[in-house]
Amino acid sequence: MFTSLVDNPQVLDQWFNPQKTPVVGEKPDYRFSLANERTFLAWIRTALALLAGGLACAQFLPPLPIAHLREGIAIALLLLGGVVALRAVDHWARTERAMRLGADLPKSRFPAILALVVAFGALLLVVAVVIKAAG
Amino acid sequence: MTVDPGASAERTRLAWRRTGLSAAAVALLAVRPAFSPAAGPGTYLMAAGALAGWAALVALAYRRARGLALDPPRPGERTITAYAGITVAFAILATVLVTL
Repeated sequence: MFTSLVDNPQVLDQWFNPQKTPVVGEKPDYRFSLANERTFLAWIRTALALLAGGLACAQFLPPLPIAHLREGIAIALLLLGGVVALRAVDHWARTERAMRLGADLPKSRFPAILALVVAFGALLLVVAVVIKAAG
Repeated sequence: MTVDPGASAERTRLAWRRTGLSAAAVALLAVRPAFSPAAGPGTYLMAAGALAGWAALVALAYRRARGLALDPPRPGERTITAYAGITVAFAILATVLVTL
């Protein structure tokens, strides 16, 4: 997910000054940069949705049969939201850099991992609801 | 005048706006516990932090809209990193709020 942190130690500088680093490469068509920016914003909305879901779990769910499961789900969703936001800015900076260099756009397993984590969480909640209904 | 039949600047401006609206939902959920009779000073502090963070996000989006109104539009730079940073701060604030 954060492979660029290993590959490229100036990645933090890249987050803040994507137009200046690297010195090589040239400015892409602004429409491509704006498309990259909208993708970033879509990921930020995903992060915000996870945060809203986490807060809603903590505030609106009744206590679940497994002790602290409600708080656990809420905190997992909130931390996942934070990770999604961090990964959003990292992916945006890497895409910007690739476009400047005319390289292939960065590939990522993150969407698949996020989907699996969310599916696992949903399954966990289904099990909790079934246990509650049976007991 | 640049020809841009895809209206990318306008679509980007609207994307900033709906992201701000999503952030409003999170901020309101973070403020909600402050209205409970059992609310303590920590809850009030988190509510104030959430509203300040939301105001900062909206201000950043307005600042960005000015860059998008130029011809040709300027691509986002540090505004984007700041926006992600404030979203991460929201995640930390909400985690503290849930564990209070």
